[in-house]
Amino acid sequence: MPDIPENGLTRLVHQVTEVATGPDTTFADGRLTVSAKAARECLADPALAHVEVTWASPGQSVRIVKVLDAVEPRTKGAGGGGIFAGFVGPDRVQGRGSTHVLRGAAVVVAGFLPRAQEAVVEMSGPAAALSPLGATHNLVVEFTPAEDAPWEDVDRALRGGALRLAVHLADAALDTPPDAEEWLPAPTPPTGGGGRYRVGAITNLQTQGTFKDVFVYGRSFSGGLPTLIDPGDLDDGAVVSGQFGHPSLKNPTFMHQNHPVVAALRARHGVDVDFAGVVISPEPVVASQKELVSAHAARLCAAAGWDAAIVTKEGGGNADGDVALKMDALEDAGVMAVGLFAEMAGPDGTGPPIVVPPERATAMVSTGNYDERLVLPAVERALGGDAVALVDRPATDELQLPIAVVYCALSPLGWGHLTCAPEVGTEVLSA
Amino acid sequence: MSRVVHYINQFFAGVGGEDSAGTPPTTRPEAVGPGRRLAQLIGPDHEVVATVFCGDDHASGDPAAIAEIIDLVRAAEPDLVVAGPAFTSGRYGLACARVAAAATAAGIPVIASMHPDNPGLDEAGGAPVVASGEVARQMGPSLDRLAAAVRRMLAGETLTADDGRIGAVPRRSRVATSDAASRAVDLVLARLGGDAAATEVPLPRFDHVTPAAPVADLATATLALVTESALVPDDNPDHLESARATKWLRYPLDGRDSLTPGEWRSVHGGFSTVWANEDPHRLLPLDVARRLEGEGLIGSLYPAYLVTAGNGTSVGNARRFGIEWAADLRHSEVRAAILTAT
Amino acid sequence: MSIAQRVGAPRIVPTRGIPYPTGDPSLTKADENAWRLRLVKTALGALATPVKQPTVFEVA
Repeated sequence: MPDIPENGLTRLVHQVTEVATGPDTTFADGRLTVSAKAARECLADPALAHVEVTWASPGQSVRIVKVLDAVEPRTKGAGGGGIFAGFVGPDRVQGRGSTHVLRGAAVVVAGFLPRAQEAVVEMSGPAAALSPLGATHNLVVEFTPAEDAPWEDVDRALRGGALRLAVHLADAALDTPPDAEEWLPAPTPPTGGGGRYRVGAITNLQTQGTFKDVFVYGRSFSGGLPTLIDPGDLDDGAVVSGQFGHPSLKNPTFMHQNHPVVAALRARHGVDVDFAGVVISPEPVVASQKELVSAHAARLCAAAGWDAAIVTKEGGGNADGDVALKMDALEDAGVMAVGLFAEMAGPDGTGPPIVVPPERATAMVSTGNYDERLVLPAVERALGGDAVALVDRPATDELQLPIAVVYCALSPLGWGHLTCAPEVGTEVLSA
Repeated sequence: MSRVVHYINQFFAGVGGEDSAGTPPTTRPEAVGPGRRLAQLIGPDHEVVATVFCGDDHASGDPAAIAEIIDLVRAAEPDLVVAGPAFTSGRYGLACARVAAAATAAGIPVIASMHPDNPGLDEAGGAPVVASGEVARQMGPSLDRLAAAVRRMLAGETLTADDGRIGAVPRRSRVATSDAASRAVDLVLARLGGDAAATEVPLPRFDHVTPAAPVADLATATLALVTESALVPDDNPDHLESARATKWLRYPLDGRDSLTPGEWRSVHGGFSTVWANEDPHRLLPLDVARRLEGEGLIGSLYPAYLVTAGNGTSVGNARRFGIEWAADLRHSEVRAAILTAT
Repeated sequence: MSIAQRVGAPRIVPTRGIPYPTGDPSLTKADENAWRLRLVKTALGALATPVKQPTVFEVA
């Protein structure tokens, strides 16, 4: 048996502790300075008439509304070095060598796009902790579309521009010694394990067309079949989000780069599990396709020697169906399945928690109740828009909103600490 | 000493049976009917200061009824409202559940009592409901349990399964100590380690329906045909909706041995009605039912059919239609029904 | 049918198609009528049978 080389990726982590704007984009001693002119150049495109960048930092009395995508600044070398394959880099596999990460910062695009659902990020107050962006220094990109520019072109321009801006910021740290180095080994092949359970992640990606699509190596994943993908490629931005629905249930590019289930499995790798890898799958809209994709994914995981799979989704009740089908197909194929679900139990918590639950698989993690109401205090400043259309109020007002509106609050990839529990401790009596 | 207001229906208030099911909301300044035994069980610490009662048809059918009942309840200044026991009585259970939900919304503590299979149970929202027996003969033990739960509630305790609590218990968001992804790994290991029931989200509760006793002698029984296929006279004279139906209808079948194509159609929006309109017996088997009636296999066919559209029907409405159909058919001494479902 | 079981219907007779619960357009008229007769007789049999939980009665 040939020696299997140690495959993996090294993250060179630079911690961002303060931010500023200035004549040049620089990074030193934790301070990230951006040149607004250079930032706008990253987003130069005929479809965008005007672009503005503004920092929003944790603790400030700032609310970001109409949040679209968020990207963590990363680079593998000047100009990107191959990162964000198919967009900034050429469409080739990555996930090896080293990648610089500006941790504690994010590029956040905010503004109106059709079919985007109103999303909110609080930089202070009780709801700040409900979103990962409440704890990052966010470079908020606001935009005005060019007159007569088709919205699809605006969307494309923003996506490419945000990724280029993320690279531009990270490039500033290339010559700085990292604060930490994180070694991310590639998953062990089936013969190389240590007798521990092999557990992998199945990540469902929304694939419903324009404004509701996710890209892999620069291409829409719609119509694809489930596939294994090296988790290092996730770190290096092979999966880019182009969907803007269900804000609390959104998996922005930032979240794929920092995949929580992969992180949780890596944390236990070699201890009580072996991290077996990642399968990505589309979420078809047609029932027969959903069934095909689910059965195919189950066989793939079984063939890859997985003992268990953690299944995540993207979207609302329709996406629950995809998780449920996969969980049942996995159990049928002898692979134990756990699914992550947000509950839609209604404002008083008594509705049926899950729209489409699995029939045979029964192990479910809750990421919180979609319908619970929040009161967000008034703020001094808002970015991304002047009003929150959902409640028809100025964006800086005190707002009463369901948690469904807070960006990533019920993170289907498992980022959040929310869960649900019965109000009364014991199981209820039934006939 | 706490003030308890008791909600019951017209039958338990001693006003009358089915004939009095339209009784409007009424109040008496004392315990009435089973409330008297309840008062004994919770006294002397607590007192039943008033009884509000209402006819089951009025309470479950009139949109303003619940609000009127709550007004009467509020006027008696209760510390706690007690509704039922409703046993398996559908309309009474529905009324008790709605009173419980409305009282909770109005900030008045409330507890209801009914059998776990009562179809009204799920309308109580998050209000506490404790299990009663199946039939009125079990009033004694049902009141014992209810009284014990009343005492605990008035002492400020939260009711649990040990008190006989049934129905939906609200699920609330909580902040866990670890993120969902880590909890997912924990759950994988728990399951692989042999804990076959570990989960954060329980499976949805399957509804349980107490099966009716079998028909002893079909040859003497009246059978009804009912359907949710939205089969109506061709001009849909009563405007049955194609989806999210808010009503059900009754159409006569007497004198008919069959349904003539063209005189009937389905207005159901959930499937292609082409085949059904070609031959309405594909939705309502009148031809066969008449033949079996003629041959003596059934005593008689009920001379009408009940219909609604089962397309996107709200759970609440569907449950209400079922409760009303049962009451309606029982009133006409129908013994059994065949429901054709699409 | 799993919906019928899920909502707790105690006596369930499976049919051949959502748009024609008591019919079968793939059959000739005579065969369809014969099938409908067997279906309703199965239903009557179910009504006369004691059950404790959702029970499916297949048409012979």
